Amino acid sequence: MSRWSYVLKRLVLAVPVLVFALTVTFMILYLGPLDPVTAVFGQEYNPSDALQLRKDLGLVRADGSPVPLWEQYIDFMVRLFTFNFGQSWVVASEVSVSTLIWNKVLPTVWLGFWSVIVALVVGLPLGFYAGLNPNTGGDYLASFGGIVWRAMPNFWLAVILAGAISQGGFLEGYRTWIIETQVIGTPRGTLETLLMDVELLGIAMPMVDPTNFFAAVKWILPAALVLGSSSMGNEMRIGRTAVLETINSNYVETARAKGVSSWKIVSKHVFRNAMVPLLPVIMGEFYLLIGGSVLVELIFNINGLGRLFISAAFGADVTVLGALLFIFVTMTLVFNIIQDILYTMIDPRVGYESE
Amino acid sequence: MSTTTAAEDAPSARRSEGEDLTLRERIAANPRPALTWGAVFALLVALEFGALASGLIVLTRTAVVGITAVIQVALEALRAPFEALGLEPVVGIVNDVLGVWETSQGRFPVTSEAGDISRDTVGKIAESKRHDAPKTFSLLWVQYQLSDFLFGLQHFTESVPTLLNREVIPNQGFKTGPAGPWKNTFLGLEPAAAWAVRATLVYVYAFLTMFWVFKAYNVYREHYRVADWTPRDDVVDRLRGHRWGQFGFVVVFMFVTMAVFAPTLGPTTAEANIESTYQNEVQYFDSESGQVEEVFVGQANAGAKSKGQGDQNVGPLSYDDYGRYHPFGTDVNGQDLFTFMVAGSRISLFVGLIAIGLSAFVAATLSLLSAYYKGLVDLATVIAADSVIALPQFLILIMVSVAFQGHWLSRVYSGGMLIALVFGLSGWPFLWRAVRGPSFQVAEEEWIDAAKSFGQRVPVTMRKHMLPYILGYLLVYGSMSLGGIIIATSALSFLGNGLGINPPTPEWGRAIAAGRNYVSTQSWHIATIPGVMIVLVVTAFNALGDGIRDAIDPESEGAEGGGAAAGGGG
Amino acid sequence: MATIDAPEDERETAGVGVGRGDEPLLSVEALTTAFYTDRETIRAVDGIGFDIHEGETLGIVGESGSGKSVTARSIMGLVESPGRIEPRSSVRFRGEELTDLSEKEYRTVRGGGIAMVFQDPLTSLNPVYTVGNQIKEALRLHQGLRGEEATERAIELLEAVSIPDAARRVEEYPHQFSGGMRQRAVIAMALACDPDLLICDEPTTALDVTIQAQILELLEDLQEERGLSILFITHDMGVIAEVSDRVAVMYAGETVESAPVEELFRSPKHPYTQGLLESIPGRHPDSDRLRTIEGDVPTPNAAATDCRFAPRCPEVFEDCHEVHPQPVAVGSGDEDHHAACLLYPEDTSRDAAVEHHVERKRERTGGEGE
Repeated sequence: MSRWSYVLKRLVLAVPVLVFALTVTFMILYLGPLDPVTAVFGQEYNPSDALQLRKDLGLVRADGSPVPLWEQYIDFMVRLFTFNFGQSWVVASEVSVSTLIWNKVLPTVWLGFWSVIVALVVGLPLGFYAGLNPNTGGDYLASFGGIVWRAMPNFWLAVILAGAISQGGFLEGYRTWIIETQVIGTPRGTLETLLMDVELLGIAMPMVDPTNFFAAVKWILPAALVLGSSSMGNEMRIGRTAVLETINSNYVETARAKGVSSWKIVSKHVFRNAMVPLLPVIMGEFYLLIGGSVLVELIFNINGLGRLFISAAFGADVTVLGALLFIFVTMTLVFNIIQDILYTMIDPRVGYESE
Repeated sequence: MSTTTAAEDAPSARRSEGEDLTLRERIAANPRPALTWGAVFALLVALEFGALASGLIVLTRTAVVGITAVIQVALEALRAPFEALGLEPVVGIVNDVLGVWETSQGRFPVTSEAGDISRDTVGKIAESKRHDAPKTFSLLWVQYQLSDFLFGLQHFTESVPTLLNREVIPNQGFKTGPAGPWKNTFLGLEPAAAWAVRATLVYVYAFLTMFWVFKAYNVYREHYRVADWTPRDDVVDRLRGHRWGQFGFVVVFMFVTMAVFAPTLGPTTAEANIESTYQNEVQYFDSESGQVEEVFVGQANAGAKSKGQGDQNVGPLSYDDYGRYHPFGTDVNGQDLFTFMVAGSRISLFVGLIAIGLSAFVAATLSLLSAYYKGLVDLATVIAADSVIALPQFLILIMVSVAFQGHWLSRVYSGGMLIALVFGLSGWPFLWRAVRGPSFQVAEEEWIDAAKSFGQRVPVTMRKHMLPYILGYLLVYGSMSLGGIIIATSALSFLGNGLGINPPTPEWGRAIAAGRNYVSTQSWHIATIPGVMIVLVVTAFNALGDGIRDAIDPESEGAEGGGAAAGGGG
Repeated sequence: MATIDAPEDERETAGVGVGRGDEPLLSVEALTTAFYTDRETIRAVDGIGFDIHEGETLGIVGESGSGKSVTARSIMGLVESPGRIEPRSSVRFRGEELTDLSEKEYRTVRGGGIAMVFQDPLTSLNPVYTVGNQIKEALRLHQGLRGEEATERAIELLEAVSIPDAARRVEEYPHQFSGGMRQRAVIAMALACDPDLLICDEPTTALDVTIQAQILELLEDLQEERGLSILFITHDMGVIAEVSDRVAVMYAGETVESAPVEELFRSPKHPYTQGLLESIPGRHPDSDRLRTIEGDVPTPNAAATDCRFAPRCPEVFEDCHEVHPQPVAVGSGDEDHHAACLLYPEDTSRDAAVEHHVERKRERTGGEGE
């Protein structure tokens, strides 16, 4: 009971956090010196159009008098919480923000998904290997590699990797490896044809097209590798420490004393305990993805949410910015709560000690 | 172990005598070691007094402008709602405190000192702009006066001769004939060799000085400390045995040295080579005309670009057509990449330190308050921290940078101040997380209750009894976060478009952006070298953090150390 | 020469073995376990030997750092790199040589034949699995029980170690148990394998006194019910007196004295044992301060060439720094009481006794050398 009340407590705490975070966003967008109206019109400033825009943005009333800040604030919050994101002004004139975001979500999700997978598949086993074989050559290599990998700036790694697989780079062969694919740009077409209809026993069923699937994965893999790089390093490092700590614990020795096999010790006793410190690192990947996707999408020329954010920011498109931040913050909080739920599932002590 | 017993065995008479004396009296009783140390130290300082003092003044000026800028922004934010409500008297008071006045043309002065106001070559505010300066005693007045004074002082100290400077060991010269000897360089050496001599000497000097500063601790320990052993000795010993931490320390130290001696280290200066290329000239031997010619640096740069194809490349460790040596090659504009990197290290370090300082201050204050008062204060802190963490830091940074484009704040230190402020105000929860546990631990200690019981004032209790305990953790996690800040600053500059550090001030990320399209060409160095440097510096800050953590908290060492402990068993 | 010939079996077991008719359950001979680190080699256990017979409790006592725990881990085959059991060591369990076993073969012995209870009950149970789960894991491994059957058996075991409301407790997590309860659960887990020998490594040290007494009582009951042999390791002389039949005193990796428990407490022979007994609080009510043995246990880095206790010994004489004492019978009529001290056998002259130790040492190492 106490375990689930812990989750409930975290859930309740998420509400003020969301409100507070959005308030900060509001303050930056509406209290700062940013002027969306100038951004829209630029040089061709036309007072009457500007006034109309101010009215549409809810900055000015119909009679031309300014709307008080607190009213703007309430309006801002209500719109976001009711998912009424309004329309974009700068990025795509008079397109609804929801449509805009929805159109860009697929490449970003595809990129994010594979970056998580790459980080997990490479980082965790290496970290575990290093932890199980401490102070060996392999351990030093994995640990040092993890540290350096983690210290590499995403944007630099992206620049180098994009350079290496471009024409004349030393990884040029990657493009034509197995099947010829692009590596820079949005794999939109490939993603949309990911599913093909297969007639199975007379019923049309959607099936993953293996060739397209492979092509789409291959396309996104360099970008995903970059985006997942720091998480990979983190997972390696924390995984190593966690395993090392667990393997030297008394309960592992007790398990060995009762004759449990080494494999079973690692898979049952070490793994689950080591997951406790690893969980925030793995879930924290999402947080790193948000910031990282801006740079990686820009360098790999992927038309996703990160690029949308950048164009919205440069264009001072406050509605798009507000909506994107609302989505990002909400997602972060959702992931935090998933993390809390996973925590209570993995570690029965959660919620017990804090009370 | 044995040292503690030695302390107990020491003649009690001597101990009690020693304990009563202050450090000053102890030195007076046995002045020789202190004097020897002091003499050597004074000599070391004297050799480079100009450079060190000007560095110190720059730091002081940064602090002055930084602190006043923060207060100014806060006051302006406070003024806004009163202005909206039309409460003129309150707005007037705030304006008076700030030192701004209003005319029909607007508010004056509109900018902070370090922003727009033009300066003459001495760095003083130009006469024509003087009337814009605040005239009555106020916040901005203090800022203007102090900054003006410090500028003058800086200029003066820079004119004090130092041993290791470009005039004493010059590396820029020209050949007198096709194969002829070099002229104007140090001892007539090749520019590469002359530069190498100067750079090596700078590092030798820096390491010597560092060694001597550490030596002070040994002198103190050997001759003036009362106790034969303190826990700090163990910390120092553990740090001595920590190779990884030492690696971090050495690289961080070299990075800091680079920032401090930036004007001396480069083959040329950022000012001459990057910022005002058409106010400086360079002499070279022109093989076509067969004589020594003189051109503007800007023209020379245009002929020394690294742009991948054909002969447009000046790679690392090579000369350009104008007899200028480029240790890291040139960038796409023909500017010297090494000079660019060296100058860029200053701004990286500056942004990192300000941001970490601010974060650490907020984190320490909040964690101490919540550990002391617990309950609601703690809950509020948790919510505030969670909210700030929930905001994607890098995106906020972009948003704020965009929002403040054109605002005077975005011009302070080429935009570095704004970045540092955003980092400081959004980065504290990460440090706070690290020190919250230790703070609560120390709040449970009996000496805190004891301090409460004899009526010690709360701020004093926190400062004297709680803060020292969490300071080490702040140092550890501060060092580790510094890497992230350096990366994010360069990432912002990489994005450009008014984000990050504004050109022409060099920033590493901008070099990567410039060299972006040449990675797979012969001009690979432009993007690669700055990236490798970032990785190295960030790794070093992490390693330093690891080292300090293992030294102050040996428990964590056991987890990493492995099997050796098993031998004890029982 | 008035030397006393050691009995045949003693020559092999290097000390403690009792000449009973039956085969001992566990027989340890010349066990040496060394840890090899970059800086040094630590001979944590250095040539010790003892026998445990069925239903018997052997207590091993010594200060921390004397090698007690490493002895237990060596028997269990749990010594890990950089530690190594030296080649000449022998651990025989039910006549089977354990040191030659592969890791896989050893696993059937661990838990199945020999079970172990560790010092710290708070950390001996995996925090993320229920107590029942961990008992059932042992049941499945050694008795092939699964599902319902295993659960029932686990509940029985918890009841056997006097845990109330066992049916509910079996589904609970370790953190829901108190310290004493956890140690009971650990004992239940050890019993799940139905072992013949139970090694208890300081099982009560981390518990408070009343709980300690309960656990000792429980062990006694279990031993009676199941005919268990127990190897009981502790630094607490009071506990040793209560639980053991025989006692071996360890110092710096070696057994310095061994005797039946009453004999040892009545007339300790080795100066170290004497010191240990002296230092029990309350033994000298008239004295106003506690007696202690000055100094620390040395770390044995190489094979001994002298008496390792000599630096702390109140009765030290010159030869102590030259000759490595061997376990010998303390007197001609006392074949069951051995001490590794140059003062013994006590019914010979000092020189003869020293000569006897030199002789014994040559006998023991001579065979090993070639």
